[in-house]
Amino acid sequence: MIEVPVTNNTEKFNSATNSLVSTTKEPLGGKLKLIFGIFGVLSVIGIISLILKITTLGFDAKSGWGYYAAVVSLLLGVFGTAPMVAIAPTIAKADWHRPVSRIATMFTLAGISTSILAIPLIFALPPLVVDGIRRRSIWFDANIYTPHVFFGIAVIGLFLVGLGLLWVTSIPDMAIMRDHSSGWKQRLGKSLSRGFVGTEGQWISLRARIGMMGTFYFMFLIFVHIIYSICFSLELVAGWKDAIYPMYHAATGIQSGVATVIIGLFLFRKYWKLEDHIGIDQFWALSKLMFATTIFWFYFFICAFMIFWYGKSAINEMTIAILVNGPYMPVFIGTLLLSFIVPWWIIIWNPVRYSPWMLSVVATIVLIGSLLDRIRLYVISWQVYSDEMIHKRYIPLDEIPENMIAPSIFDIGIFIGFVSLGIFAILLATRFIPVVSIWERHQSILLTRHIKFHRTEVYAVGKPD
Amino acid sequence: MSKISILGLYDNPDSAADALDALSESGFDSNNFDVLTGTPYPEGAFGEHVPQHRLFRFPLFGAIVGLTLSVFLTSTTQIVYPLITGGKPILSIFAMLVIMYEMTMLSAVITTVIGILFESRLPNISMNVYDTRITEGLIGVSLVCTSDKKETAERALNGAGAMEIKSSGR
Amino acid sequence: MQQRRQLDEKQINRELLNGNLETPKWYYPVMGVLGVGVLIGFATILYMFNRGLGVTGLARPVYWGLFITTFVFWVGISHAGIMISAILRLTQAEWRRPVTRAAELLTVFSLLTALFFPLMHAGRPWRIAYWLIPYDWARGIWPNVRSPLFWDPIAIGTYLTGSTLFLFVALIPDLAILRDRTTGIKKTIYSMLALGWRGNPRQWQLQVVAGILLSALMLPIFVSVHSIVSWDFAVTPAVEGWHSTIFAPYFVIGAVHSGVSAVVTMMCLMRWLWKWNNYIRPEHFDALARLLIIVATAWLAFTFLELIFSLYGRDAPEIALRELQIFTWPWNLIFITFLLTGYVIPVGCWLFKRCRNNIAIMFWTSILVNVGMWLERFLIIVPGLARKQVFVYTWEGYWPSPVEWIILVWSFAWVSFLMLLFARFFPLVPLFEAKESQVFTTEMKVGRATVPMVIRE
Repeated sequence: MIEVPVTNNTEKFNSATNSLVSTTKEPLGGKLKLIFGIFGVLSVIGIISLILKITTLGFDAKSGWGYYAAVVSLLLGVFGTAPMVAIAPTIAKADWHRPVSRIATMFTLAGISTSILAIPLIFALPPLVVDGIRRRSIWFDANIYTPHVFFGIAVIGLFLVGLGLLWVTSIPDMAIMRDHSSGWKQRLGKSLSRGFVGTEGQWISLRARIGMMGTFYFMFLIFVHIIYSICFSLELVAGWKDAIYPMYHAATGIQSGVATVIIGLFLFRKYWKLEDHIGIDQFWALSKLMFATTIFWFYFFICAFMIFWYGKSAINEMTIAILVNGPYMPVFIGTLLLSFIVPWWIIIWNPVRYSPWMLSVVATIVLIGSLLDRIRLYVISWQVYSDEMIHKRYIPLDEIPENMIAPSIFDIGIFIGFVSLGIFAILLATRFIPVVSIWERHQSILLTRHIKFHRTEVYAVGKPD
Repeated sequence: MSKISILGLYDNPDSAADALDALSESGFDSNNFDVLTGTPYPEGAFGEHVPQHRLFRFPLFGAIVGLTLSVFLTSTTQIVYPLITGGKPILSIFAMLVIMYEMTMLSAVITTVIGILFESRLPNISMNVYDTRITEGLIGVSLVCTSDKKETAERALNGAGAMEIKSSGR
Repeated sequence: MQQRRQLDEKQINRELLNGNLETPKWYYPVMGVLGVGVLIGFATILYMFNRGLGVTGLARPVYWGLFITTFVFWVGISHAGIMISAILRLTQAEWRRPVTRAAELLTVFSLLTALFFPLMHAGRPWRIAYWLIPYDWARGIWPNVRSPLFWDPIAIGTYLTGSTLFLFVALIPDLAILRDRTTGIKKTIYSMLALGWRGNPRQWQLQVVAGILLSALMLPIFVSVHSIVSWDFAVTPAVEGWHSTIFAPYFVIGAVHSGVSAVVTMMCLMRWLWKWNNYIRPEHFDALARLLIIVATAWLAFTFLELIFSLYGRDAPEIALRELQIFTWPWNLIFITFLLTGYVIPVGCWLFKRCRNNIAIMFWTSILVNVGMWLERFLIIVPGLARKQVFVYTWEGYWPSPVEWIILVWSFAWVSFLMLLFARFFPLVPLFEAKESQVFTTEMKVGRATVPMVIRE
């Protein structure tokens, strides 16, 4: 057995603490204010667009809400599933996630956008009884506003659990902010760290709380994806019966979440100068996740498509027309290319997986693919909905619209504005919460070593539990 | 001049690494000596030089062959027996995809295994001199050289603390 | 908690080859009993070939019964190997090491056994050649590639070939160890099989790269195999309960659930029979049980979605089918047993660390899972075909006959027989992995604590 020398890590700990605490000060010099300004203005534009959309469109014109629903779905993936990149490897006891987990968890803050956007959509969703007849629903004979209430609770619950997760995982860093900063940051650190001084009992309870909050978040997330995908698209199309769809929605959401984290990691690493803390290993590990989720896109898609294509009944043919070769065929082809073929073909090459820059390009492609995917699924669902059609067994092929509808100016404003609002919330938080978790960085320093192994050098990782 | 094969046995990795150094210093080409272990060690643990393998080319080649074969199989069988089932087109791409996928993967796996054997230089018929204690924890340093260099080699191997040296003519 | 012990290579050889270099006392009696079971099974199969499928319980409208259920069951078990071997290898889980070989072996033998069932089910198995082999048997009639029944053998053939090669490649270094420890004819045979392995750095490097590359290639095959098996059912629009988009991933996750449970069962037996306590330790059971909790819960979620969506359409025949499956005797008993044994009891136990570390509890719970998973397949296949709907009066028609039950029992005896036969000649725990684990692990001192470390290149 090779000997591992005992080292004194105090100096490394101090240097990591100082450099990471300093990122909360002025990471970009004066430019940060400008960036805050830009995202702030865009956020305001988003909120104004939302108000104008509600006042001019109302909730009855269902086809006008398709793009809006697509944006909510996209954000549930992009912002909502990003924290999974921190939770899943923690549960699997992987060691690469430590420098990534804070950035991934901070996307819970961007959930503010999703929560605000979700509320008007609840009002646009038709009740379970339409024209005196109960429509098909997974809620069967429940109260006619059950999906509205449950989704509302779930999406706000997801945001709150997310905030809880971010807080719990940041407690030791709050204590560091309490001890190593001044003014409002010190006061905030003091109140949020809840007297954390790092006793053994506190660490044990912290780990238990992180595990619990992570599991809660995951369960809420899957619940939200299941309800949203079923109630806000599938149930609006008479005859669309697709048991894999909620899982497709969640899996593709995770694909976009991984892409978001890659881009976030790349930008923070570059502009916050975190090269010492975030290595290539992190990108390498994330690339594997992205590869897997990209293949999932195709797998879940083909699982459904095969069944419809083989079934060839009128219902099956209608479903294919709605999802694949109908009016939104160009969007579908775009999705197939950008969510699967192009990223798969690029990411299969080893050098790409070692390059943060190339990976970020792939991640951007994936995000565009995700947007197109959500458009193909949601816009037509709201477009074909009508109070008469919903009670039919299925939509006859000749009644499927021939043309796509275009997004309104408000839809575009909402999309840009609320994505900006999410980014704005994260940037605001970076003024107080270090973007790389200091305590996990300390853990990395403590548990990883480059050691001499006869004539070579190897990397050794401690696995305490 | 006849070639011989020499094997030095060591009971710890550092001595084996020293032996490799000593052989290099004595002027032997690194392609002619090798370290033999019963356990995989991290790459470079003995300071050895392992040439880059080209294993990744094999599955790629196999996949292309498998795909071509499967396209041929699925399309020709359907064209020569044009029976319409369930209203599907004669050339049903989605059904063909399944077969194409499986045959591509099968061919890739088979060529990969061929590649592994080829790149590991297996089957290896001439074992040269060998000792069964290598699979029991001893580390062997084996060398192929001309018989006039036998003494130099043995000196180098002994200098690094060999427990035993075996040799055979060939 | 650290249960690993420092062992030298001699000790590893001695302990892990204890079933190969000498014959354990229990070996021949056990093989005798299994052998009798296998012979009775084969005799029954021949009897069935001679008399025709009339000796089974299959009757209109249920033409797919116990044989197809057991086929799906064994294909499911075969998912153990790649799940453990490939996924855990790719994620560099250190605890996979003692389990990989046995899991891969289970894959190979359970697939071989699975293949028997559609053959038997065909009644006249030799006729399968007509619709499988692309040869012009009957003047212009070629295999129909649009039929999922044609995809099945292609997928399983690919998986079986791939798994066997995967198993063989990882066996080469261990064959070299056996070559070095045997004499006479045995040595000659092992030498031929070991292909002249010497253990130089290049061979080791390729062994490691091969493990990763083959894992990456086998993983997509593994997913496709059970997906294609599920499509045997799901692409049929006419049978209620089958035409569901969720079938492929649902079958795959169910297969992983039953396969990994089967590996747990096997690990318990390996620990008890060969006394490999130094290698198969409670920590391995703990890790597998944690993995199983996640897999089982995901599988339950899929089960739930499948059920919800079957009712969502509000089609009368579909609702009638679910009534039959869930509420009608004796299906209701099967349904409740399936839920209890497939999820509630085992996962309920695995939530507690004490149970996860108890080998006997792990053994029995893992067997329960597979009882549940067999029942699940039975519940999917038979009631669907029973067509309980208007103008159908024969929906209670099917119950397996004694012939079918004997063949079911035969399949278990057959797989166990093959496994034990293999274990007599080849090591079930990869020796080189056990040795590698000794090289690639170390310890560090953090204060007063000793923390195990894993070395990465």
